[in-house]
Formats: sequence, structure tokens, C-alpha cells
Amino acid sequence: MAKQRGRGMASVNYPTGMNLGGDPSQALIHATTTGSFVVTLSSVDLGQGLKTIMAQICAETLGIPTDNVIVDTADTDTGPHCMGTFASRGTHRIGNAIIMAAKEARAVLLEVAAEELEVNAADLETDGKGNIQIKGSPGKSISVLETALAAHFKHGRTISGRGIFLQPRSYPEPETGRMTPATCYAHACTVAEVEVDTETGEVAVLSLKSAYEVGRALNPRMVEQQIVGGAWMGISHALYETTEPYYPDRAHGPVDFNEYLMPGPGDLPKFENVVIERPAPDGPYGAKGVGEMTANSPIPAIANAIYDAVGVRIDSLPITPEKVLRALKAQAA
Amino acid sequence: MSVALRAAASPREACRHIARRDARLIAGGTLVMNEINNRETVTASLVDLASLRLRSIKIANSRVTLGAMTSMADIAAHPKLKFLKPVVTAIGGPAVRNMATVGGNLHAEAPYGDLGVALLALDARVTLETARQRKTMRLEDFYAQHRKLGAYLVTAVNFALPGANRFFFTKAIRRKPVSASVVAVAAHLPRKGKRLAGPRIALGAMAPHPIRAKAAETALDGKALDETTIAAAASAATEGSAPASDPYASAWYRREIAPVYLARLLAQAAGQKS
Amino acid sequence: MNRIPLRFHLNDAEIGEFIDSGTTLLSLLRDKLGLTATKSGCNQGSCGACTVLINGAPQLSCLVLAARCEGKSVATLEGVSDNGTLHPLQRAFMDGFAAQCGFCTPGMIIAAKALLDRNPDPDRGEVIDAISGNICRCTGYEPIIDAILAAAAEMRGGKRKSA
Ligand SMILES: Cc1cc2nc3c(=O)[nH]c(=O)nc-3n(C[C@H](O)[C@H](O)[C@H](O)COP(=O)(O)OP(=O)(O)OC[C@H]3O[C@@H](n4cnc5c(N)ncnc54)[C@H](O)[C@@H]3O)c2cc1C
Ligand code: FES
Ligand code: FES
Repeated sequence: MAKQRGRGMASVNYPTGMNLGGDPSQALIHATTTGSFVVTLSSVDLGQGLKTIMAQICAETLGIPTDNVIVDTADTDTGPHCMGTFASRGTHRIGNAIIMAAKEARAVLLEVAAEELEVNAADLETDGKGNIQIKGSPGKSISVLETALAAHFKHGRTISGRGIFLQPRSYPEPETGRMTPATCYAHACTVAEVEVDTETGEVAVLSLKSAYEVGRALNPRMVEQQIVGGAWMGISHALYETTEPYYPDRAHGPVDFNEYLMPGPGDLPKFENVVIERPAPDGPYGAKGVGEMTANSPIPAIANAIYDAVGVRIDSLPITPEKVLRALKAQAA
Repeated sequence: MSVALRAAASPREACRHIARRDARLIAGGTLVMNEINNRETVTASLVDLASLRLRSIKIANSRVTLGAMTSMADIAAHPKLKFLKPVVTAIGGPAVRNMATVGGNLHAEAPYGDLGVALLALDARVTLETARQRKTMRLEDFYAQHRKLGAYLVTAVNFALPGANRFFFTKAIRRKPVSASVVAVAAHLPRKGKRLAGPRIALGAMAPHPIRAKAAETALDGKALDETTIAAAASAATEGSAPASDPYASAWYRREIAPVYLARLLAQAAGQKS
Repeated sequence: MNRIPLRFHLNDAEIGEFIDSGTTLLSLLRDKLGLTATKSGCNQGSCGACTVLINGAPQLSCLVLAARCEGKSVATLEGVSDNGTLHPLQRAFMDGFAAQCGFCTPGMIIAAKALLDRNPDPDRGEVIDAISGNICRCTGYEPIIDAILAAAAEMRGGKRKSA
């Protein structure tokens, strides 16, 4: 039995967001009379953790606890417009829109608090725990809840804010084709180690080691989890997933999740990840997008590792045992 | 769609009922329910075998009798059936194993039917009832004939307990730890002295139902299990096979690796390093 | 229509219902009883999102006719927490970032509970086997496996066995 090991690497530069007809997203924020703030979006959380990150960004900007932020993504008919959660754009685009909205709401919050405390709004600060106090004398303070009640019942004001982030459309220069499709790029490099069974063409991924430069990791555990989940998906694209296993012959397509192959919990390599933070100037608190790219670099890294192991180049996905075995036989012939 | 479910009162009564075209037996339901949910079947009436007390494992005089409603999990948990554990724990996940039955597995089409592969290598006998009679036949004959039997119901399978370290099973899969067979190989390798005596090799996913690799058996019979014999058996492994292409593997690939998996299994049996 | 009476034990309750005999347990739970923790991911037996315990053993509720549960005891995720106190598995999933979209989570927790009920000190391979019929599209399984091992360690009241 012959098992050959190999190592391969691949790097990725990933633009945050996209540039079709311009790339905007909006956010609306308002205070309720319970001291909470509602962020209204039509962006969608499909498991990537959008709601958590948006609550963090809103809370940070307003200066209130994250628990006091409610992110409402319920309705794309009635919510402010969002281009969508794709192109790794959510944190960057929607996060920036929320910062803009939260700044406006914070200004009103402090103005109302200033009137209640009979001081100048410029002299106020938030303590991050739900109170507004006079800079340097925390004894004199008012809670966010009291402020919200006062705004509603006494001052007749809404503590609210509107935000939008627009990445304007970039046209290519006719002469050179040069354009600015994105303002920030995340970067990653993955090293894959594989073992190839030369008699069966079966490939086992032994380890995936990656370094990611993501701007700022607003929630480090979620970034790490995105990288692990993405790496799994990368393995899946590299070695398993297809609706047409014998393309261009379209026969024998899978009809259920048994047949639509993906790596199982017994196929996991050793994951090792390093996150490097270099805040992006135009990112919300420096964040770039670390979404789709996590599934990218594992794929060529695995293909390269297979080449390193057994000297065959497979250039179509997924790299099935059959393709490897056929290539090995062609190589031997 | 509305499906009527009736408890089988007796094997005979069940047979009489399923003689109607739109009625089916349901055992664990892992395959039948899938078809019903997909609306692939016109089944309007299911006859439930759960009421028939066919869930049992009996071992007497070195013969094992598995009631048709015995589940894969029942087999996996039985202390005297450890040799079958690698077979049944390679089927589905734990939930499927709790549901999937012996009787159902004999009716599962390739690439399923892994327990059947093992039972074929063990030269199992199938006991079945029709509306009129009770019959026992070799599993091999059952596979060849069951579509022509009309309405019948498998009540049990039985086989002789293999000697210690005489039964081996392996399965090529595309997703770990469990997935349908790319190819499954079972080997029962009784010995006289150092030589194999009446070896039986069965393959799964190499034809619509489990088959014996008779040419490989011939290459092994009366021989010591050495490298030459193993190579001869491997090169004869796919004779008479007719694998299909499916999303797991192509027919070509199955033919290529069946000999490799057989050779590795035999090497394991020989206690050789490979 | 074949309307038939059905009685079974569900989490902490005795259920008595008239059902269509073709109804699956999954559909009864979700569509009729309003217990939507149990998910319908495929209706084909291939994703595990619908996993429930029947008489303590995990089964796929999409492949079980409800009528076959007569007199049995069915447990779903709704019954896993104790009066609002989360089960150690639920907490471990939260703490370990073992849920992203969460669609697989109910089935994963039930599959894991079935394991831990029977084997309080599983090794990594046993955990992997326990969830081998459950698909997760998001997490890459690693945090799920870790969360189950962490919950097992917590439930034993001791340290995690070295993996
Ligand atoms: C996710 C998943 C994974 C699976 N993985 C595997 C696998 O790895 N290997 C494998 O072999 N199988 C696998 N299967 C297929 C299947 O679960 C098993 O083959 C199982 O043993 C079938 O048994 P059952 O009792 O569920 O059959 P059922 O669905 O109840 O019945 C199947 C067929 O057999 C007939 N039948 C059942 N019992 C009898 C009887 N006593 N007499 C006459 N006819 C009968 C039924 O009428 C029906 O036509 C898998 C299924 C699923 C859903
Ligand atoms: S819904 Fe039952 S297994 Fe997918
Ligand atoms: S968390 Fe999304 S499927 Fe598992």
C-alpha cells in the first residue's frame, strides 16, 4: 500500500464588497422607551454572525452595553435597503452605516441628557454601562433609560439616527482599464498537508494551517470560527461537492445529502489559524471582510499538495479519487 | 398524500395484504419512508411488521438466527456478534442504525445492502413466508429470485458462527466516518491447517445486489494466504461483477479499487503488514 | 383520509391527538403540535436535523410515521432544558461557538444527548460517530465535537479525559 504525503500552499487577496452599480447599505437606529436601541436592517444573518457584530458596533458607537441593542433584520420589504450579505461586505458596509446612524442617535441622546442634567452636551460622556455622566465627575449622571423616557414624554424628541455607507461605482479608465473596485482587501495564506493513496486515488487532508489578515477582528472567536467553517467548506469544494460528478456528462447527479458529498466529521484535518490585525482606514473600527475568502485558499493549497505528493495536476473540481487515480495511471503509462 | 398503516396480524395475513399492488411492508422504514416522502411510490397502504415479534437474536448450536426486524443497533450491541460490528456500524449514523432492519437491508439496492454482503459471505439462509408456505433458501438464491417470489415476507436469516478471526469486512467510502459503499468486501476464511478451506468472498455495490466473487474464492481455496495467493484473488475479484455509476463512484472506479480493497482485507487477514 | 387516534408521551406531556395515518412524526411535531425545534432539513433521512429520541434512542422523525409512536416516549429539544435552565450541552454549544446558522443544532444536541446518556465519557471518535448522521453546513464540525466533549466533562463533574 502506497501512501504519499505532500504539502501545498496558496494565498488569497480578497476585496471587501463588490462594485457593480455602487455598493450601498443603510441602517436606521432608534431608542425605545425601555432604554434599548433598535437597529433596523434588511441585511440577513444566515449564520455568519451579522447580528452579533452589528450589535457590537452599535453599542460601541452609542456607548451602551451590547445587551441593550436589538438588531431587527425581520423584513426586507420595510427595512432600509441593503445590497445583501455576500461578497464579504456585511461587516464593512453595514457596520459603517450603523456607525453613521449611531453617531447621529448618540448626539441626540447626549443633547437630551444635557438638558436633563442642565449642562452642556459637549461635557457629557457615556460609561458603556447604560449611563451618561459629566466628564470627570461620574457622580452626576443620568441613565440611558431615563434619558429615553425624558426624550419621549418631556422633550418630544426621537433619539434616532440614519446611516448609509456607499462605496461609489468605480468606472475603469478607458486607456488603462484601471479602476478602484474596492477600498480594502483582506489577505490570507493557507498551507495544506495531504496524504494520497496511490492505489485508490483517495486523498486525506491532514492539516490546514492558515494566516489571515482581516483588518481588525471585532469578535475574535467568531473570526476563528468563520475560518474553521470556511476551511471545511474549502475542503468540500476541493474534494467533494458537485451536482454533476461526471461533468460534462450530466448523468448520476446526487438527489439527497447522502449523495451530495461533503466532508463528514471524520474527515477533519488539524486546523491551525493565526489572525493578524492591521486595521483598515475605512473599516468599521478597522474591520475588513473575512467571509468568503476562508473557503478560497484551501482549495488551490490542497490541489498543490496533491501535486507535491504524487506529481499529478488535477485542474477541475472536485478532485475525486477517480480523477486522481486516472491521472496516476496516465502518469505511469 | 394519505397512507394507511395497518399492523400485520400474522406473516400470512401480511402477505395476503401486500399481494395488492399498492401495499408494501414497512420494517425500519428508512427506505420506504424516503420513497413516500419523495412521492416516488404509489404506496397507499403500509403493512407494519413491528407487531410480528421478529426482533430477536438467537444463538444456538453455533448458529445465529436474526429475526427480520432486528436492527443494526441490536446487532452492534450483541456481545457474541462482535465480528459484525464493523459491518453494522458502517451503516448510516446511530439514528439510522436504530431504525434499519435486517429484513430491510436484504432489500436495499446498491450501493446499500452492506449487512447482506456480510451475510452472503457467511452463507446465510433466509427464512420467508408466502401466503401459502414457509421456505428457507440460501441468501444467494434469495437475491437471484426474490423479485419472482410474489408476495412474501422474510422472517429471519440464519448462519453458522464464524470461527474467531475468520470473518473480515471492509468498505470504501467517500465521507467519514459513514457513507454508502463505493465498494464493500466481506470475507469468510475458514482454514484447514494453514490453508483456506471453502473461503467465501462477497462484494457490495458491485452489482444491483451483493454478489459472491467466485473467481477470487477459487483462487484462494486450498491455498495458504500469502502474497501470491492474495494477488491472484485480487486480480480475479471483479469477474462477473456489474457495478453501476452513481454520485459516489463510477463503474470504472469501482472495478479499479475492488481488487485493492480485497487485497488489503486479505492482507489484514493474513496478519501481514501492508 | 385515515384519521386515527394516537397517544404517546412527549417530553413531559401525555399527548392525545387524532392524526392522518400518513403523518410523519416530524410533521406532527412541527405542523400540528407547534414544536419547531426539531428541523426539517431534507425529509429523506440524510441530514439528521429531525433527530429525536424514541424510547431513549435517536431516530429520524422524518422517516417515522407518527402512528408508529403509539404508547412510546418521544423526546425533542424542547424537553432538554430544565425549566429554563439550559442543559450542559446547550451551554457548551453556546460557549464553544458550535452553532452558526443553528439549523443543525437541535439534531446535533439530541444526537449528542443520546450518546452522553449512555456513555458519559466518550472519546473523540465516539463523538464523531454519534453525530455522523447529522450534517452541519456552517461550523466544520470541529467546534461541535469540542462542545460535546466539554459538556461531557462538565456533566461528569471532572476534567476532560485527554483526547
Ligand atoms: C442516511 C442513510 C444512510 C444509510 N446508509 C446505509 C449504509 O451505509 N449501508 C446500507 O446497507 N444501507 C444504508 N442505508 C439504507 C437502509 O437504511 C438500510 O439498508 C436498512 O437496513 C433498510 O432497512 P429498513 O428496515 O429501514 O427498510 P424499510 O425501508 O422498512 O424497507 C425496505 C424495503 O424492504 C422491504 N422489506 C423490509 N423488511 C422486509 C421483510 N422482513 N420481508 C420482506 N420485505 C421487507 C420493504 O417492503 C421495502 O421495500 C441508509 C439509509 C439512510 C437513510
Ligand atoms: S429531515 Fe430527517 S434526516 Fe433530514
Ligand atoms: S450551524 Fe448551520 S448547519 Fe450547523
